[in-house]
Order: sequence, then structure tokens, then C-alpha cells
Amino acid sequence: MSSVTLRNVVKRYGQLEVVHGINLEIDEGAFVVLLGPSGCGKTTTLRMVAGLESISDGQLEIASRVVNDVAPKDRQIAMVFQNYALYPHMTVRQNMEFALKPQKLADGEVDRRITEASRILGLEPLLARKPAQLSGGQRQRVAMARAMVRTPKVFLFDEPLSNLDAKLRTQVRLEIAKLHKRLGTTVLYVTHDQIEAMTLADKIVIMKDGHIEQVGSPEEVFASPKNLFVATFIGSPSMNLFQMTVEQAELGLLLTSQPFSVPVPSPLLSKLSPGRQVTLGVRPSDIRIAAKGEPGSFEARVDVVEYLGIEALLNLRIGSQEFIAQVAAAERPVPDQDVSVFFNPAGLHFFDSQSGQAL
Amino acid sequence: MNHTVSRDRRIALVFLLPAVVILFVTTIYPMLYALWLSFRSYDLSKPFIPRVFVGVANYVEVLSSQAFLHALLTTFKLMAMTLSVQVVLGVGIALLVTQKLPGMAVVRTLLLIPMMISPVIVGLVWLFLYFPELGYLNYFLSLVGIGPVAWITSTGWALTAIAIADIWQWTPFFMMGTAAALQSLSPEPYEAARIDGNSRFDVFRYITLPQLKPVIISLLFLRAIDAFKIYDIIFVLTKGGPADATEVISLYIYRQSFTFWRMGVGAAASFVSLIIITILITFFFKSLQRSQAALAR
Amino acid sequence: MTANAREKILLYILIAIVLIVFMTPIYLIVVSSLKPSALMFSRPPTFIFTPTLQHYYDLFTMRPFHLQILNSLIVALGSTAFSLVVGSLAAYAISRIKSRWINDVSFWILSMRMFPPIAVVVPYYIIFKSIGLLDTPLALIIVYSTFNIPLTVWLMKGFFDEVPEALEEAAQVDGHGVIATFWYVTLPLTAPGLAVAAVFCFIFSWNEFLFALMLTGSKAQTVTIAVMSFWSSDAVQWGRIMAGSFVVLIPGVIFVLTCQRWLVKGLTMGSVKG
Repeated sequence: MSSVTLRNVVKRYGQLEVVHGINLEIDEGAFVVLLGPSGCGKTTTLRMVAGLESISDGQLEIASRVVNDVAPKDRQIAMVFQNYALYPHMTVRQNMEFALKPQKLADGEVDRRITEASRILGLEPLLARKPAQLSGGQRQRVAMARAMVRTPKVFLFDEPLSNLDAKLRTQVRLEIAKLHKRLGTTVLYVTHDQIEAMTLADKIVIMKDGHIEQVGSPEEVFASPKNLFVATFIGSPSMNLFQMTVEQAELGLLLTSQPFSVPVPSPLLSKLSPGRQVTLGVRPSDIRIAAKGEPGSFEARVDVVEYLGIEALLNLRIGSQEFIAQVAAAERPVPDQDVSVFFNPAGLHFFDSQSGQAL
Repeated sequence: MNHTVSRDRRIALVFLLPAVVILFVTTIYPMLYALWLSFRSYDLSKPFIPRVFVGVANYVEVLSSQAFLHALLTTFKLMAMTLSVQVVLGVGIALLVTQKLPGMAVVRTLLLIPMMISPVIVGLVWLFLYFPELGYLNYFLSLVGIGPVAWITSTGWALTAIAIADIWQWTPFFMMGTAAALQSLSPEPYEAARIDGNSRFDVFRYITLPQLKPVIISLLFLRAIDAFKIYDIIFVLTKGGPADATEVISLYIYRQSFTFWRMGVGAAASFVSLIIITILITFFFKSLQRSQAALAR
Repeated sequence: MTANAREKILLYILIAIVLIVFMTPIYLIVVSSLKPSALMFSRPPTFIFTPTLQHYYDLFTMRPFHLQILNSLIVALGSTAFSLVVGSLAAYAISRIKSRWINDVSFWILSMRMFPPIAVVVPYYIIFKSIGLLDTPLALIIVYSTFNIPLTVWLMKGFFDEVPEALEEAAQVDGHGVIATFWYVTLPLTAPGLAVAAVFCFIFSWNEFLFALMLTGSKAQTVTIAVMSFWSSDAVQWGRIMAGSFVVLIPGVIFVLTCQRWLVKGLTMGSVKG
């Protein structure tokens, strides 16, 4: 059963259209992450779901009810804001109480919910404190508790980790994952950080310029990106790209660029004809150092070696084409010499150079 | 129809409307009344004569009268005297009291007091100092061999006497504004200039002053608008006299309306002064918007 | 900036001169209010004398100065309360509504404060006379509010601008309406601003002279007019004038000493960052 459905949702500010007809179905209990660079429309989309921005066109359903013109408070949602938006003049307990006030619950019920939420998030010792007396991670937990006590149908998170330092971010990320597992409530989560998206999401929605580029599980978007944008946006370091031309050879079709060539894999044979421009994508982790003269390997120049402990990043060059390989630290070569490299055939991605779409 | 727009509308209605309505009734209505009045002959000393429509006669009388032009000139003369001294003294004192020395915070606070004193009280205490025969100012001047000066009883000195009282009250305004601006300047350019070995005068001339300029201009406009309205101090010290030596616009309007009871003429003069102050305010807003834009950058 | 010892001494001398010049009139008010009349203009000035409270005693016995203080308090507090309510509501709207017309409205409101009082005193006089409000505190409350509302709007707008909108959105998502959000979230966070605006309104009303002079007679007379009236009596009662002046300047001095850091913002209408 679908919990949140967006049908052709459009956002315009005057003449300017910033979200162009988003279609998205979010299943009950799913953890969906809207991922994209800043200005891609992900936050605007989230705020439309929250009801903080009006919907210019299209339809938004929450729990099978059209809510385009329903006030935020009646959408059965709760939101965790980027800066937490804790009321600075209220204690932790009062923050939660204030969130519950409009629901006009019995006092006992209010207490029960606050006790439960604070137990789950470990806030019991902090209930009498004000936000200014809390650390960043604690504030984050209070914001989640405040959302939790309302027992919403959907949790909305707007870049909740962006104000935390790297170490805390990992920790709170884990807490969010645990919380979702425990409560099983639908989550719609906005971030620009692909690691957050990969680690938290059941389903990642990658957005760019107000469009959805791809929707899929973390594995899907990583292993089979639909287009060049997704391919380069997901994965770190990013995927290497090579501009290639399809050529006719004795044994079949070849993709060639100046210094090297790769055979066209059989599933693609029917789609390509000689002369076509194709972009070849290879993740750094799909490149390894080969023995000299190994079939299918190329010679490349090592420019810089970045040692990272367990692994090393090699900045390589074939002619004027630069690319990066990720290898085990023990196997790293010394800079300024030529090495043989081998592209894992299973890790090759082919994109139409013109449209950027995967082939 | 969507609810964020309706939210704006609700805010506008519930929150903004009362203020707009009240200000309209209490300000615009009296102004319109004054406008209406300025086209009538309304003489309170002859209450049985009806308010006759006289066209622009009041305006013609005001604009062609020697007394009005003199009042206008006196207003601007006083404005020039006070503002020029206040800005120089104020910036100078601000540079003194922003030195990082013990006790400066207390000095800065004490210097703010004159601004918060009712202008009537300022007028009275300066009257005490200027008072013919008795006032202490001439006594102290006589100790250094100056005077006696007929501060408020001679046409030559009266305007200066008023200017001094106003300068005393409002120099702190420039001091305060400039000091606040000085303290918000970033220290890096000064450190750079120290390393480069620029002279102190050059540092002030090329680093400090350009950064203070927008603030000083804003302060000048605010003071100019106030100086145009100056009333209380003059009322206490000289009542516009001796003769008409200190009769500024406000006192001219006051005299027309409440000494001669010629309300129509007073209203016409009020409107002329409204137009002048509107020009000042417009320039102030322009500079304000510019300085706010500069701050936002 | 560091200065060597000689420069420091020079600086302190200059500052001492500045302080003497600017503090002398205030010193005179305080000292003269306590000086016996016979020593008021003695040559050379008497610095050491037995202070007397006679002038203060006269103030309240020969004149109904306490009633005038009461009038001033009624007018100042009334106008302050009214301006604070109306002004902060408007300030909130101006801070939150994002439309081009709102800028025009806010500048219109600000300009209302800058118009010369003398230009509207005649119509006020006639209007109040015709509706029987002349010589009542209510007349002054109304007039002062036309100056205090714009001041409150501009001060409070600055404070509202600093309240993050996410806080209000959070309340909105939680189901609170516009008014509840304003009342429980925004207003408590701008309490210091309200205090500052209140003090500015109070001081302006307390110190005002022109309207008080024109629109009140004997009944609603305020302190500034009362002090001025000692001057026009048969003999100038300097002791009483100074005692009255001292009473009038108390609120302003207390304000400077307690919340001077807000003075910049209030007096420059936000054109200078304090």
C-alpha cells in the first residue's frame, strides 16, 4: 500500500518552474531518500509534501487522501528540520508537549508518549534542559523525539545531519536507521550526501534541476545507473568517463579512443553501429593493475599516488585522458612510471554520448 | 487557492491592518485636514467669520513673505552649523573612546546621556548657563578674559547659543553611531596596514573613513530630518527672538497659528515644510536601502 | 591599537575634557536642585554647601507636581502599551510577508515618524477641540502613538527577522495556527525587543513637549510643561526648575545605564548595526 504518492507535482515561483512534474510512490514503511545537488528541487519537494510550500500543479496523496489543500497540521506528518528548529525558550519536555498540544490529548497520554520517546532516544536525563544546553547530537535527538511523539504517518527529514561534524554524523545516521527499523514508519528524507542516502535508504530518488533522474534501491543506482548524471553522482571517487567511437573490426564492433579500445559486449551489438559516439564509464574500483602484456590490458602513466591506508588512489593518464583507479594499498606502484591496467569487463557502463542515457 | 498564500493574507489582515488603519486615521487624516485648512481663511481670533475658501492665497502669502523665507533660511543655517560641528566632533570623540583603554566603556555610556534628556530640560539648563548677568558661562569665560557675551539677548549670538545647546545634545548621536561602526570593522586591514607601515593618518583616511562613510551619511540624514523640526530648545531659550533672529520654520508656523491665530496660513506653511522634509526623507531612504544592500553583501 | 605612555596620557586628557564639557550641564542640574537659592549664582560658584531638599519639597507642596507626574505616567504608559501591541503585530507581518508591496507599506509607516509635529499640531488642536478631547491624557496617548507605532514597527521588525522561520514552520507542522505560533513561539523569543521598544516609547512620550504644550491645559499637564511653567511664574525659581528637571531626566538616565547597547538600533532606526 502506498503511503505517499506524488502525481505530476509541479512547483512554480511566478514564471520560474523549479520542480517539473514529479511522479513518485512511497510504500508504507519505506525509507525513501531524495538525493541531489543543491538547487535540484529536493527540499522544495519535501516542503510541498509537508505543506510548507503550496503545490502549483499535480496531486499529492498521503494515506490515500488528496492533501494538496490540507494544512500541514492535518497531513499526519512530522518534520525534522535542518537546524532542528527547537524552540529555544522551552525545555526539551516543553518542546515535545508543545508539539502535542494541538492534538488535545489527555495528560496521561502526553506523558506516556514523551516518556516513551525519551526512553527510545535516551533523552530522559535531558528533559529539563533547554536547547542551548544541549550538544549538536542531543539537539538532533530531541528534534526526532519531538517528531516521534506525534505518531505521524510519515516522517519528513530535511538534511538533518548537515550541521553535525563527521564523526557525529555517522553515529546519528545509525540512530536514525535503528529508529526506522523499530518504528517502521514511512520516512521521506532529503540529503545531498550520497553516503547517507546509500546507508539509510530502501529507495533512492536522485534529482537534478527539478527532475527525477532515477529511482531505485542503493544497489540499483550504484550498479546500473540510468544515465551519466547518476553514474557520476553516485560513488566516490566518481566514475571515470571515456569518450569512445564505435568502429568495425574483424571480430565484431570495437569501442576505440586514441590510445586504447574495448570490445563491444554482445548484448549491445544490435544497438550500435560504426561511427556512433559512446561514453564508457568505469568505476575506479573496477580498474586493477595487470601483469605486463596481459590480454585486454593497457599501458598508463602513473601521475600521483594517494595513499589512504587500506587502499590507494592512482591518478593515471593515457595520452591526455586522465582517470582514477582504486587499488589495494599493497599493490600501489610508484609515481612517474608506466603500468598495465585492466578494466573489469563486468564493471563497464555504456552511455550514449549525446543523450547521456545508459545503453 | 493554496494555503501558504492564504496564510500571508491572514497575517496581513490580522497583524498589519490595525496599524495601517490607526496610522491612517491619526496621521493621514490630520494631514488631509491641514491640507484642506491651507486653502481656507481660518482665523481663530475672529470666530464668527466662516471658513472661506481662499484658493492658494495662503500659499502665495507664505511663499512671498519675507518672514517665511527668513525662517527657512534660519532653519538651514542652524542645520549647517549644528550638523557640521556634530559630525566632526562626534567622529573625533568616537575615535577617542573606541581606543582599547581601561574605562572607555564607562565613558561611552556617560556620553550617551544628553540624547535621552528631554529637549525642554536641555533648553532650561542652557538657559541657566546663558542667563544674562547671572549665567555661569560668561563667568567662566571672563576668567580667561573673554566676554561678556550676550548669548540669548543679542541677534548676533542667539542662533549660535541655540546651536551650542543642540550640539551638546546631539554630538553623542554621531559619537554613538560612529563608535558602533568602528567597533564592527574587521581588524585585518589594520593589521595589514601596520605590517606595511602606513602612517596613522593614511590608515584613517584610506581604511577607516571610507568604511564609515555610509554610516555617517545615514546619521547625517537622520539628524537633518530632526534638525528641520527643531522646536523645543528654541522655544525655551529665545522663543524665536530676539526680533526674528532664531525664528525657524517650526516657530514661524507656531507663531502664525497660535500667536496670530491664522490657522490657514500656518497650515499652508506646514505643507510647504512637509514637502521639504519629504524630499529629505526620500533621500534618507535611498541611502538607507543602499547601506542595507551593502551590509547584505 | 597600542599607544605608548605619553600618547595614553594625552588621550586621557582629551577624554577628560570631553567628559567635563558633556557632563557639566547634568552636574549643574543635580547640584543646583540641591543648592540653597541664595548660593544659586554665587561668584565664584559654591562647590561645597549643605544640600537642601527644599526645592523638591516646594515642587510637591506649592505645585501639584505629583499629579503632573501621574499624568505623564498615564500618557507614557498608555501610549507605550498601545503602540507595543499594534506596532509589534505590524512588525511581524512586515517581517514575514514576502511581497514587494510590503516594503512600500513599511517605508510608509517609518516615514510617519519623521514628519514634523508642528505640521499636524494645528489639525490635532482643532480636531481634539471639536470632539472634546483637548486637555485629556487620551489626546496625548493618541498623538504619541502615531510616533511610537512606527518606532516599534522598525525595532521589532529587526527582532522578528532574527527568529528563524523554521521554528514557525515546525509549529505549523505540529498543528499550531498563525496566532498560536506567534504567541507561543515568536513573541517569547523577541521579549528583549519588546522591552527595548517599550523603553523607547516611554522615554519619547515622557520627554515630549510640543504636543503636551498645545493639547493640554491645567488638567492633563505633563511634567515637561510643569517644569517649563516654573520659568514663566513671576520670579524664576531656578531651584525648583532644576529639581523638576532632575525628576524628568531620571527615566532617560536609567535607560542609558541599563540598555545602552540597544540605543544605537533605536535611535538610528536600524541604519547602523549596533
